[in-house]
Amino acid sequence: MVIRKPILILLLAVLLAGCSRDDFRFQNDSDEAAAQTESIIRKDKRIKSAAVVLYEEKLLAGIRVETFSRYKKKKIASELKKKLEEQYPDMEVTVSADSKILYETNKLIDEGNKDKLGKEIDRLTSLLKEET
Amino acid sequence: MDKEQYSTIEQEISPKPSIIKNVFKAFLTGGIICLIGQFIALFYITFFDFTERTASNPTVATMVFISMLLTGFGLYKKIGQFGGAGAAVPITGFGNAVVSSAIEHRTEGYVLGVGGNIFKLAGSVILWGVFSAFAVALIKTILVKLGVVSW
Repeated sequence: MVIRKPILILLLAVLLAGCSRDDFRFQNDSDEAAAQTESIIRKDKRIKSAAVVLYEEKLLAGIRVETFSRYKKKKIASELKKKLEEQYPDMEVTVSADSKILYETNKLIDEGNKDKLGKEIDRLTSLLKEET
Repeated sequence: MDKEQYSTIEQEISPKPSIIKNVFKAFLTGGIICLIGQFIALFYITFFDFTERTASNPTVATMVFISMLLTGFGLYKKIGQFGGAGAAVPITGFGNAVVSSAIEHRTEGYVLGVGGNIFKLAGSVILWGVFSAFAVALIKTILVKLGVVSW
């Protein structure tokens, strides 16, 4: 009887955790127009959430795909990367379906600190290259 | 009494394990262990420089460590009694296998007892993992050298 309440709370917490926000966020600090990025990402129905930062010559996109597309999330990310590279041939494009990138990119947009944007993008790109 | 008689008597006497109940318990236990693991992975992703892919290594280490502690305190055996395979199959079962055999042979001394028996159960798992990794890497290296696939 005593244990029933904590279990209920735990179950509720787990259920409510599913209601995390799913939205598309874009921040542009480059000379290029971000509208194309937005239309490319919104057109892909498999992507349910994205955070994109454009800074000088760098484009960092963290995406979250629909639950059943998760099996193909690497492929989706590389497809998106190809499309974005066609759109922005001069930019260094990084696209990842890794939730770390989405989380950190959202944090970068929330903080709005433009001085360290370039450094942070480099750091995240190097994290993705980590092999171990 | 011949063989068939014996087997019919044995069938009648031995208690029927309720498979569905056990499967459900194992599912629940294994699921909860994996849920905890997911939270630990999320913790490493959020607070440290790990991506979803690289966070698996520290998560596995942490889960093994927790199950080793639980085994030492005698709690993991209760989980195992309830969950059966649900507690043995996840990586936590590995930590349990290492520490429980160390505890079992503690009275025989540290070198021949603990040292000689600590990997009695888990040693085959480690050996199999290392050997299969070697074999797969060898095949992949040959295929790459032949130009069939790329890294």
